[in-house]
Amino acid sequence: MLRLLLVIPTTTYRTEDFVAAAAKLDVEMVVASERAHVLQAERPDRLLALDFADPGAAARAAAEFARRHPVDAVVAVDDRSAVIGAAVAGALGLRTSPVVAVAATRNKHRMREAFARAGVRSPAFTLLTRADDPDAWAERVPYPCVLKPTVLSGSRGVIRADDRAGFVEAFRRIAGILRAPDVAELGEGTEQILVEEFVPGPEVALEGLLVAGELHVLALFDKPDPLDGPFFEETIYVTPSRLAGAVQADIAAEARWAARALGLTEGPVHAELRINERGPWVVELAARTIGGLCSRTLRFGTGITLEELVLRHALGIELASLEREPRPAGVMMLPIPRRGVLRAVRGRAEALAVPGIEEITITAHLGQELVPLPEGGRYLGFAFARGDTPAAVEAALREAHRRLAFDVAPVEGAGRPGGVPAAQACG
Amino acid sequence: MTDEAELKLKVQDLLDNAINPAVAGHGGYIELIDVKDTTVYIRMSGGCQGCGAADVTLKAGIERMIFEEVPEVTEVLDTTDHAAGSNPYYAPSKG
Repeated sequence: MLRLLLVIPTTTYRTEDFVAAAAKLDVEMVVASERAHVLQAERPDRLLALDFADPGAAARAAAEFARRHPVDAVVAVDDRSAVIGAAVAGALGLRTSPVVAVAATRNKHRMREAFARAGVRSPAFTLLTRADDPDAWAERVPYPCVLKPTVLSGSRGVIRADDRAGFVEAFRRIAGILRAPDVAELGEGTEQILVEEFVPGPEVALEGLLVAGELHVLALFDKPDPLDGPFFEETIYVTPSRLAGAVQADIAAEARWAARALGLTEGPVHAELRINERGPWVVELAARTIGGLCSRTLRFGTGITLEELVLRHALGIELASLEREPRPAGVMMLPIPRRGVLRAVRGRAEALAVPGIEEITITAHLGQELVPLPEGGRYLGFAFARGDTPAAVEAALREAHRRLAFDVAPVEGAGRPGGVPAAQACG
Repeated sequence: MTDEAELKLKVQDLLDNAINPAVAGHGGYIELIDVKDTTVYIRMSGGCQGCGAADVTLKAGIERMIFEEVPEVTEVLDTTDHAAGSNPYYAPSKG
């Protein structure tokens, strides 16, 4: 039986879907996390802890583990584990992109530099650090611009500034986020703030799989809600895209070029691009699958999941089909209405009754403190829909959201958020 | 004693002496709900209920330990309402 090493952070949303895919493939699953599992002593052949802050040490530890318990493939499930997964797979001589390429996807500044060198259409940028004087830089940057940490994900800490006062406020707010203990522990890059030109236009997300250096586009999602700031909370994703075929081809071409510019060769790719009269702009490209639970919108061939596709590729099992099921599908990342403690969720049955709605999953637990962007690092939940047209899917998601109500109580003693109380949130 | 009753005793013994003492370290508890034929039904509570690592605990830990110690068992099913967990040890966050 094939043995698969999944690199899974303890706090990722991706665990359930990857574990389910491994179970479906009937492979022996080994799990590596950044902390020792409570059953590790009982199952030392199945569970191990790796130092996620030190890819070299993690690779050596995994190689020592693999001498006793060989594995046939290594798959990282998200951003936080991507570099460790590549380092481990590389050390074991297994299928992976080069670790240096994956590492570049984890730092937005290094990614921008790689894109600029290769001529990938992406925003102009300037790298600052927390130690820089925001008042001085506010005089020098073009407006509108976008400020963002280089090492966080999920729009966390991403703020648009339209003028000097807005720039200084955004800079200080991001500096506060970077000082939060859960961010500081990420290490390298947590002192950096990237300033980019704001690129107008609608945004799309491309899901792809790299096989021997060739990017196969698995799905293209429209994001029908405008992402113009000041914060960039993502809500609805719908596939297939309603953009013209020629535009979609341009998007795929730019994403291919971006993946090549980074040196990625194998495994999943999640890219975000903006479209305007000058063409597609690559905002980001990550060496992972789509985040949260959003992959549940996707089925391929005879119903296999995105995670199963990724595992099959890593294990060298035949990829029967990379064709997405043709029925339009979509997901809504339910917006956090305001900061506070989640006390109740109402209207779930009414939301599920909306034609086309397949699932409503609330991932925040009752009693959890909800923190909106730009500080927040957690989802409230997800709604999933399928329909005859992308427009019908979008309408169903909006109606389901309209029927949901969230009772959010004020946080006792809370002032303006300057950090992130959600201690495990990270990019 | 029926086969199911015997399996229950073996699984309960494993839970009591190996699994629960370990998951207690994270405030968790694994309850044996039932054994039907060769399928074991469990429920996770405390820190395990809604935990971001619950699937790892089940598939790479509990299930493997049961299969190894009680080889007559062919399936372990988790009946937990993880969405109702109010104090998960690891709460998922964006990655």
